[in-house]
Amino acid sequence: MADGKVSDFTQFREGVVDNNPVLVQLLGMCPALAVSNTLENAIVMGGAATFVVVMSNLVTSLLRHQIKPHVRILIFTLTISTFVTIADLFLRAHLFDVSRKLGPFVPLIIVNCMIISRAEVVAIRNGLKRSLADAFGIGVGFTLALSVVGVIREILGSGTLLNYPVTPAAFEPHLWIIMVLPPGAFLTLGVIIGIVNYVRQRDRKGGAA
Amino acid sequence: MTLGIGTLMGIFLSVALVNNLVLAGFLGICPFLGVSRKIDMAFGMGCDVTFVMTISGVVTWLIVHGILVPVGNALGDPEALFFLKYVAFIMVIASMVQLVEMYVRKFFPPLYTAFGVFLPLITTNCAILGACLLIDMKPEYQNLLNATVFAFGGGIGFMLAITLMAGVREHIRFSDVPKCLQGPAITLLVAGILALAFLGFAGIGS
Amino acid sequence: MKKFVEESWLVLVMGIGFALLLAGTQAALQGRIHENQREATRQAIAEVLPGVATTEQREVEGYQVYEGFDDQGRLLGWVIEGSGTGFVDRITLVVGLDVDKTRITGVKVTSNVETPGLGNKIEDAAWIGQFEGLDAERRVDITMAAPDRDDNKVQAITGATLSSVYTADIVNAILDTVRPKLEAP
Repeated sequence: MADGKVSDFTQFREGVVDNNPVLVQLLGMCPALAVSNTLENAIVMGGAATFVVVMSNLVTSLLRHQIKPHVRILIFTLTISTFVTIADLFLRAHLFDVSRKLGPFVPLIIVNCMIISRAEVVAIRNGLKRSLADAFGIGVGFTLALSVVGVIREILGSGTLLNYPVTPAAFEPHLWIIMVLPPGAFLTLGVIIGIVNYVRQRDRKGGAA
Repeated sequence: MTLGIGTLMGIFLSVALVNNLVLAGFLGICPFLGVSRKIDMAFGMGCDVTFVMTISGVVTWLIVHGILVPVGNALGDPEALFFLKYVAFIMVIASMVQLVEMYVRKFFPPLYTAFGVFLPLITTNCAILGACLLIDMKPEYQNLLNATVFAFGGGIGFMLAITLMAGVREHIRFSDVPKCLQGPAITLLVAGILALAFLGFAGIGS
Repeated sequence: MKKFVEESWLVLVMGIGFALLLAGTQAALQGRIHENQREATRQAIAEVLPGVATTEQREVEGYQVYEGFDDQGRLLGWVIEGSGTGFVDRITLVVGLDVDKTRITGVKVTSNVETPGLGNKIEDAAWIGQFEGLDAERRVDITMAAPDRDDNKVQAITGATLSSVYTADIVNAILDTVRPKLEAP
């Protein structure tokens, strides 16, 4: 993945599609389940995580020649928790209502394996441009995955999209109330991952034939 | 806020069953999907998490109420040092995990061989940090005893969820699951049904 | 020692650098965050005690109590914040009391995670509005039948009787504990 022949754009696209952190790598599942009950929450959460992964890759890539191997995890953790705190303060100052709904899941970006794995796999051994392309790819991929779950759960569970009613009057969202409850999150994500697997397995078979 | 065994029991039941950290709070999903193939492994992981969560919950509480708030008060604003909170929390958890690992390896070798293998993985278990953050966010855990019971109950809830899941998965191995649903997808679907069952616990904590 | 410095100078420098960065960010945003929190409280108070212009915050028996004044500086009533066990998790609400401490001027649920579609109807104005105007000197009761205002009763939410009962319990607990201790300043 990190060889010189791959272009920066490919690195970006890999993060969004082939290597999608949530749907393919199965990292960052907790927020994908917890804050995907509405599209708004999903987008804000995705934005915060994108900011953190971009800043973490930026700092790691800039300092990659100075970081001693056995303190690297400590440095990654320090960097990530710093930028998570900044993101959290920013949300509480400028998007107060959403930040209350996200609850502990903004600070929990600290332990999101997706972010530390980007620093470890890409940023510490690649230049600035490549690391940033990778971070944006992962960030956008994460946001997209959350949004897909968010759209399904918000439309079925509340009959709205970004808080605007979108379903016909005959549709009764209270019959689908399960979608905004915890089980709905597990079931939706399980089905989506099943579909993604199905498409990937079919593509692989098609490519081999 | 009243004290008493009833309150503590309520907190314990609430976090272990009704608001189970995994099935209702979506914390610790990675180990829940990853280490739930066999019952004994799942149980071991659950024990480690309970242990570390209880200790971390108490230590982070002490950091907030014993250091950050008093020093902040001395500076004129109790929240003056709260920007250090998350950094402090994750450092405490990481070092707690290391300490517990060394301690158990030195003094309880049999326990270490049985349950110790998962300890290094626990640092990135978001259930631990999540429990500490929840304790910090809710006003009713201003009290150390309540916070301790919450952290312990959270760990027990995690153990319960992951062991139940492992029990189901041991049977799924012999079932004819469609190829695209094998692995994490079917696990999530089963988790959905488990979560549905746990909804039925609502109300018993009160 | 030399080895130690060589290995860890970066961690120390980064630690200090990040701490300064965070302190700066907090200093820049803290005012706004506090303002947001105050605004949320102010809105809740204005809803349960109409006409309130300024408030004074006090603590009574462990509850946060806001004395509400109108724009002339006259005491208008009290707003008390309290929380208690709900069906799923804790419910936090504010109760407004008039200046004579005899009438509930309003109740507003400020945080709850009751079951969406059933229990979380406790935050809907249509339901919680029933508390407005009830007698503060007696217990508020929950009834399944049509509400009887003279009997100080509120009709339960269909399918969420317990959420309704717990909400009333919190209101009653606040009235029992705090109301006798309130004194005009």
